[in-house]
Amino acid sequence: MLFLQLLANGLQVGAIYALTAAGFSLIFGSTKIFHFAHGATFAIAAYLFHFALAGLGMHWTFAVLLAAVSAVVFGILLDRLMYAPIQRHEGSFFTVFVASFGIGIVVQNLLGSVFGRGFMSVATPLSNSVEVIPGIYLSPLNGLAIVSAIICFAALHLFLTRTFVGKGMRALSENPELVRTFGLSPRRLSTYAFALGSLLVVPGAIFTAAGTGINPAVGHHVMLISLAATIVGGIGSLRGAACAGLLIGVAENLAMWKLGTQWSEAITFAILFFFIIFKPSGFFGRQTVS
Amino acid sequence: MLRGKLPFIAITASLFITSSANSEEIGALFPLSGPNATYGDIFMSGADLAVRHANEDKMLSDDLSIIYEDSQALPQQGVVAMNKLVNVEAVPYVLSAFTGVSKAISTLAQRSQTVAVNGGGVGPDLAELGEYFWNVIPLANNEVGALVRYAVNDLGHKRFVLVYVDDPLGESIQKELEKSLPPLGAELVDAHSIASSAQQFSGVAARVRSANPDMVYVASYGSQQLQIVKQLRDNGVKAQIASYSAFSVPELQQQEEALGSLFTTQSIDWDSEDPITKRFVDDYNAEHGKNPTSYIANYYNAVRVFALLAQDLEEQGKEITGANLLAQRKATDTFKLVGGEVSFQENGTLLAPIQVLEVDGSGSGKVVFVNTAE
Repeated sequence: MLFLQLLANGLQVGAIYALTAAGFSLIFGSTKIFHFAHGATFAIAAYLFHFALAGLGMHWTFAVLLAAVSAVVFGILLDRLMYAPIQRHEGSFFTVFVASFGIGIVVQNLLGSVFGRGFMSVATPLSNSVEVIPGIYLSPLNGLAIVSAIICFAALHLFLTRTFVGKGMRALSENPELVRTFGLSPRRLSTYAFALGSLLVVPGAIFTAAGTGINPAVGHHVMLISLAATIVGGIGSLRGAACAGLLIGVAENLAMWKLGTQWSEAITFAILFFFIIFKPSGFFGRQTVS
Repeated sequence: MLRGKLPFIAITASLFITSSANSEEIGALFPLSGPNATYGDIFMSGADLAVRHANEDKMLSDDLSIIYEDSQALPQQGVVAMNKLVNVEAVPYVLSAFTGVSKAISTLAQRSQTVAVNGGGVGPDLAELGEYFWNVIPLANNEVGALVRYAVNDLGHKRFVLVYVDDPLGESIQKELEKSLPPLGAELVDAHSIASSAQQFSGVAARVRSANPDMVYVASYGSQQLQIVKQLRDNGVKAQIASYSAFSVPELQQQEEALGSLFTTQSIDWDSEDPITKRFVDDYNAEHGKNPTSYIANYYNAVRVFALLAQDLEEQGKEITGANLLAQRKATDTFKLVGGEVSFQENGTLLAPIQVLEVDGSGSGKVVFVNTAE
């Protein structure tokens, strides 16, 4: 029973990890920008959802909308106002990383100053577990997180394979010069990638605000998982990042079945090291030739 | 020519006058940023009130003030900040908080003969950090002992599970539970260690539930303890939750999932007619519109201990240094502090009664049991 319970918990956590990791991977794969502030986007969406619901008393649909708009706007603004100027001046990968890291710290402190540094959570009966079969407790949030992840990935797949912009974004990750030859603007496609990648963190942010609760530092953990999932899944592979996110979530929980609870977080890095050593290209990444 | 230099001379003179303005400074290493910053705000409110009272009473010939440094509740940051306070600011007395930080700075305190006073960390090891390290808070061994006696003898709980953060405090509470439960006929059936950065506890909750405990002891702090409590309840853990004085923070006292949880603190009668306690409670209430908690009283007391010792040293014409403060503390039998007249043990730790409280949503908890000092 404990195994089944941990597996169910792992699927919920994994669904959230998969969405945030896919967002990071989409941005990194398309633009080659190491968007460390992806965690900050997550934190902003979670805090604004909480503020809209608990502070302004909005209906949850408007709160979700506000969280989504804020995440997308934040992502686009970062791309346009920070990453684009750095790239225009041919800033190095490291410059972009440091700038993005700095934004993450600034956002964390701003959220702490505005909303307080303490713990917050959305009070909802959806997070309360009920015993569905003897020994197995599930909350409605468990199911909602998994269903949301499936819907989001299906929509993302359709967008990337069926729409002109989606195909352009995929092409951008392959060959930016060729994209330009076809009359598309890599700059604009980069903005789309940031908008879509940022949007993907919103379900995870909302479920985290309602399920585990949030504090201003919540973005760091998200970023860590996203980065690990991107490497494990294969850099540039959206499908890989999603699978790796799910794998990490499930493994983190199942580790507690036989190992001590303190191994839960370490298992993420154990998986990461395993892939770096034995399968550096990740789940679905391209083989590299040295 | 001189006229042209006048603004420069005026600015220099004003800077000199400002910097040489008389002030007796002490230091404080509190978490002012990061996930435990909420504690920093709480500790500061008590320390600042004590400074205000000391200055209003003109206890010292110079005004007393505190130089605050941000430890982020992290040992490394704490040592960096302590270095600054000791080597740059040359303060004789430093307020410290959190077990990890307190242990990390204790060597520097000892070496530089600077008194470090803890009012927030409760690891039992804090009583053994040298004669320059004092505690104005009862330590975890006292807190855990009082709680388990009440839980076993009065509530009839037999099976305990511990969820503890993987640091010196958590380990010391585990040792204390392992030591104190068997003689009472109870047992620690499981202990789950968690990383201080962990935020996801649904798996821990599943493990706790499978152990079927009567009581779950949570040994964490800051935002994390609130997340643990919420996730334990959300994931179907119905056993009574208990903790130490870290549960006295306002966020947890207002948390719906924490209602009915037990926690321990130093026992202070807030309705006491003792003039020091009454002034502290009245002024805190007037300033913040709510009752103080034991943490606030602890840091008020920590500053008050300095003011009393420094006052004695000034009267004797002695310099206010760490060594003199220590000698004076040893020469002083009792101190009139918030909560009554208390004395320091030989190891520099205050002896105080412990109370067990229940989280009832009132903001400060309901006292259910008082364990006298022993």
